[in-house]
Order: sequence, then structure tokens, then C-alpha cells
Amino acid sequence: MAMEQNEQEEFLSNVRKALGVNPIQKRDKPDIFKEFKDKNPDKTLETINNRTVDEKKALLEILIKEADSLNLNIIPIKDFKTAAKKIAALAEEKEPEWGEKKQIIAWKHPLVEKLDLNSILEVLKAPIPVCFTDLAHEKKIGRKQNDTIRMQMIHSYIGVTSADYCLAETATLVMKTRPGQARSVSLLPLIHIAVIRINQIIKNLKELYTILVYKQDEKEEGLTNCMTFISGPSKTADIEGVMVHGAHGPREVYIYVITDE
Amino acid sequence: MKIEPELYKAKAKKAVNNSVLQNALAGLQERLGRGTALSYQRLPEGPDLRLKAHDIRSHAIEHLDILLGALADNVRQNGGHVFFAEDGQAAVNHCLEITEKHNIKKIVKGKSMVTEEIGLNIALERAGLEVTETDLGEYIVQLAGETPSHIIAPAIHRTRHQIGELFADKLGISYTDNPPILTQAARKALRKKFLSADMGISGCNLACAETGHIAVVSNEGNIRMSSTLPRVHVAFMGMERITACLEDYDILFRLLSRGAAAQNIAGYVSYLGGPKTDDQIDGPEAFYLIIIDNGRSRILADNDFREILCCIRCAACLNVCPVYGKIGGHAYGSPYSGPIGAVVTPLLFGINQAKDLYCGETLCGACKDACPINIDIPGMLITLRKKRAEGDRKWNVKRTNIMERMIFKIWALAVKNKKIYDFFLRMTGFLQTFFTGHDGTIHRLPFPFSGWTKSRNMRPISSKRFISGSKNIR
Ligand code: SF4
Repeated sequence: MAMEQNEQEEFLSNVRKALGVNPIQKRDKPDIFKEFKDKNPDKTLETINNRTVDEKKALLEILIKEADSLNLNIIPIKDFKTAAKKIAALAEEKEPEWGEKKQIIAWKHPLVEKLDLNSILEVLKAPIPVCFTDLAHEKKIGRKQNDTIRMQMIHSYIGVTSADYCLAETATLVMKTRPGQARSVSLLPLIHIAVIRINQIIKNLKELYTILVYKQDEKEEGLTNCMTFISGPSKTADIEGVMVHGAHGPREVYIYVITDE
Repeated sequence: MKIEPELYKAKAKKAVNNSVLQNALAGLQERLGRGTALSYQRLPEGPDLRLKAHDIRSHAIEHLDILLGALADNVRQNGGHVFFAEDGQAAVNHCLEITEKHNIKKIVKGKSMVTEEIGLNIALERAGLEVTETDLGEYIVQLAGETPSHIIAPAIHRTRHQIGELFADKLGISYTDNPPILTQAARKALRKKFLSADMGISGCNLACAETGHIAVVSNEGNIRMSSTLPRVHVAFMGMERITACLEDYDILFRLLSRGAAAQNIAGYVSYLGGPKTDDQIDGPEAFYLIIIDNGRSRILADNDFREILCCIRCAACLNVCPVYGKIGGHAYGSPYSGPIGAVVTPLLFGINQAKDLYCGETLCGACKDACPINIDIPGMLITLRKKRAEGDRKWNVKRTNIMERMIFKIWALAVKNKKIYDFFLRMTGFLQTFFTGHDGTIHRLPFPFSGWTKSRNMRPISSKRFISGSKNIR
């Protein structure tokens, strides 16, 4: 640690010298962090909070339009029960990527639980098991348990998550990492399904950053150690500029937007 | 990768004669160059948003010491480690120590130009480690034993046919030139690598000082894999890639994505800060951030060039540059090609050594218009030429040879004196008749002027003078 500190001090004094300020004096200017901040965050937050039903529907329309060019599927649906049926149909239709066995991995999350996927998928003619990235109340995950979940993730062809927000103008899902909400669920499986409520849709990045910085509970939680933005399926254009979906991450992404409940 | 800007002329010549490359470059510029300009126009705030982005970036650079200090404090608070490396070797050494400490055997890497700059892969391989590039373009380039030729599209110089043969040879699949099938083959091969790697290495697009996170951007998802699956994650960042607070990203990301690929936003963005907590299922157990100077503080200290540190490496300038469009990325002999490379490579590796890079650009200004940060690249290209002409001790630049200076002195005298100038014109007008061919152009001039006719024919000096012409108009 001492060496790290020395190294840092030397490095930063070099930077100060280059900037033409006193190299050995640590500069302290807390206001530089305020320079480009939203001057009226309360107003932005109020706008977001007070959106009428019509305004929310308009955002949903923008989202659908934006998603279209990204090869991202947005499915507005009135309740969880219907959504669950649709997801089950999708699971029956799609084939697994590696191996024969169909298996689904899902977040331990209130909205995902509301779908109650197990009750539909397990009574199918060919039942499809659903595993949850659940820690079973243990504070510290033992290596064993962790490995089991990892194997389940690797062998699942569908991953089901929710999200914190969805940005209409860029068709972006925003998700922080929390216990039970593993990062790999939206990454390893061939198909990613996200379930959100319509009021989780906000306008754009600007609104998101205002929420993250100024909304009390978000501020307290911080970004967590991994906050991810997902805009559409994984893609590449590295071979002659030809767009191909499913480079490393999911090839298909479906967002079910619950409109009524 | 090996830094060899001295080979510019030879490699450029080869590139110009390579018809496959010429097609690929034309296609790339056609696709991305125009789309970017359009996407700026379509911004709700209009193209002037670039000026605001410039302000944000400059502000960060002017307060770099404070921001870097805050970033380091915050990353450590989140449980990560931070190293500051004065040069490439120090950064490589830190990385090697980390691999030893954690008993690392296999590494997966996301695309990162700064690791190319410091020659990280070679050092890791020498230490007996398996290093796999996971960005599809980088993977292709690595399999072929080449270096990237574009910041965003590293394998742009290869055709699907060549990639098909490469994969048939190296991955043992049957030959195909179908991009989706080839992509699937890489997906399968690389998935195994991701799952068995003990360490992931990534770059950093832009760190956030206030929160202590690095933001990494990709479309393929390979950087998410590299930073989620292996037990250790090491991120490398050039010291200038930082911003003060979260709100800054709104403008910067929108512009970065437009500049890079005419997208509204890249497919994946992750803010990463520290290792996983005990109650989380995935994420690395240890997180390291290595912040690199490697010649950047020297750029910072020079007001003529400080602005180039505002660059966010989006590659928009490559996609519009007429010179890059002809000679491709390899001629620049550095991970940084195109207009940005023509400025940054000389500043990092030697203004003398890389002289052809900034002398080769045309000064047309297309790069500045395409740049999401509105960086004055043409201005800096001129300053570099000036430094070379006049010499600069600070940058160890020797003056150009006396002969050239003498000629320019004489020329300056001539244009200021009408009599001498008229005499000169009449003389050259007379002399050129000996060199003018049937088609009325000059095919070859004698030494020392032969360079002008080496790769093109020159139009002779007009017999009618411009001034007399303008009189007639009047
Ligand atoms: S100079 Fe501007 S256009 Fe070129 S890579 Fe940097 S930010 Fe992009």
C-alpha cells in the first residue's frame, strides 16, 4: 500500500507539473464536480413522477419505434398472467443452443416471481425447469452453491430478468447488480427476456442520470459494482461490415411491458 | 504491437495497390463516414452539442490531478485496487505481478488500444500465459498474426473469404464465407475461452471520478463477459480517459456512439466499480485499475497539444479521412491510425520518427467536422510540421535539413520582389517545355524536384498569368 501511495503521489505531481500548478500541493476544488450538473434536478424529477397515463403510453410508443431498428422486441401486454403464457409459448418454440436440454435461468426478483413461470412450464408435456439465481438466505455464498448456479447459467438457453429502468429514446434497459440479480442472466443465454412495468420507462439518459444522482434511494444505493445498459441484442459488424446478431451475448431480446397492473 | 511509423511510405504504397483493401476502405467510409455526419444533424440539440462536449472534456483535462485522485480513492473504497504507471513497462509489470499473485493461466481480453500501445500481449505470452482477444475483429487479427487496422473495426482489411479460410485453418470448421456462420463459429470457440479464463482484461472508455467506476462500451458483449466471468478483472486506462461526474456521460455517450458507428447508443455499456460482494453470484473476486501516463503528461504540458487529450477514441476521424481511406490503418505503424494517429503517434513515440504521419495528412479538415469533440486536428498537424521545420528541444526535434530551409528563404525573397518573380516565371516557363509530354503534362522532373512527379503527372505553369486574367475579367 505504501508503494502504491508513493507511486500515485509521484504520478499526480507529474500531472500537476504538466498543468502548470504547484506539483507538491494537492489541489482541492470540490466545485469542479458541479460544473456541468443539472441546474434544476427537482423539476426533472417532478416531470418524471407526474407523467400522465397518456404520456407514459407516448413513451412506450417511442420505445417501440426505437427498438425496431435495433432488432429488439417490445411486447406491451396487460398483465403478468398473459405475459407468462406468452413466455411459455416462446420457450416451447425456441431451441437450446448448446446441447438438447431446455432450461431457463431467472432472477430472484419480485416482477419475475409474479410471472410464476414454474407453474406453467413444469406442467407442459415436455416440462422446462426454471432455476433462480437465488442465494437461499445465506449471507456469504459458499463456493459450491455458487458453482451450481454458474453451471445452471451456462446451460440455460433463456435468461429472464427485470430491469431498473428502460430508456425510451435509445431502447435501453438499465440494471444494477444486487444479490439474486446476477449479471450473467442477461448475458450468457441465447435469449434474454426482461419484464418491466410501463412506469419504469423514462425518456432518456439525461433523465436517468438525474434520477441516479438526485433521487434519495438511488443516491444511497449508488451505482452498485456493476450497472449495465443493454440496448438490443449482442451484435457485430466485424466481418465486412455485415451486421450479425448474437456475437457473444444474446441473439434475441424480448421486453415485456406490463401496462395494466 | 510493434510501433513502426518509419515504414509509413512503404506500407502506404502497398496498401494503395491492394484492391481488396481499397474496396474495404471505401465501403467502411461510405457506411460510417456519412452516417455519422447525419446523426449529428439529427441530435435534438443540433451539431453544436459537440462544443459542449469539448467543454466537458477540456474541463476534465484541466483538473486531471484532482479527478484521478478522487477516482483512485473511490475505487479503493469500493474494494478495488489502483495502480499508477508512469510508462508502459511499469504498467506491464503491475499486470504480471497480478497474474502471479492470483496464479493466473488463461486470460481473455476485450479490445483496448492502450494495451496495444504498451505491448501487453507480447509480455504476457512471454510469461507463459494464454491470451485470447475476444472482440471478433481482434480475434480474427490475432488468429492471423496481424495487428488491428482500425480503432473500432480492427479486421476491416480482411475479406469474408480470407476470414473463412482462416477459420477453416485455425478453428477446424469447413470453409464458408457466410458472416453469420463465421460469427457463430467464433462465438462457440470464444465461449469456451470465456468460461475457462481466470482473468479478464479490458480497457476503459471513460472513468467517473465522482463515483469510482469505469465505463466500458461494446456491441458484442465480450467486455461484459471478460469483466463478469473470470475471477480477476484488470482494467487499463490512459490517464486522460476520465470525467468528473455521472451527468457528463449523457452528452459524451451519445456523441461517442454516433462518432463510432452512427448509433444512438452502443449495445452494451457497463459501469464497473470494484469486486463482487459476498452475497453476489457473479463478477470478479478482485478488481484492478491500472492508470497509465506513458508520455501523456508531456502532451499535457504543451499547450499546443493538450487538446488532443480530449479525444475519446471513437474513430470518426478515420471514417472520413481521405488519406486513411486510401492507405488504411497499418501504414500508420501504431495502434492509433488515421488523423488521431497522425497526431498522437508522433507525440507518444517521437516527432522525428513519425514525421511521415503528420506530413502525409491533407489538412482538408474533414476530421475536425466529424469529431464528436470538435478537436482541432488540422491545427495540430500544422504545428507538428512547424516543430519539425524549426526544431524543438522540448520534444527532441531536430531541424529539417539546411537545404530545404535555404530553398524556402530564397522563395520568400522571390515572391516579395516582382522583378525576380517575373524572371523566375519566365525561366521556369521556358525550362518546362523540355519536360512537357505529348499530353501537355509534365511526366518527370529532374532531381531535386523528382518527388513531385513520382506518382502523378504535373500540370505545367500556365502561359497566361493569373493577374492578367483577372484584369480581363474586370
Ligand atoms: S480525434 Fe475526435 S474523431 Fe478522432 S478518435 Fe478522437 S474523438 Fe474520435
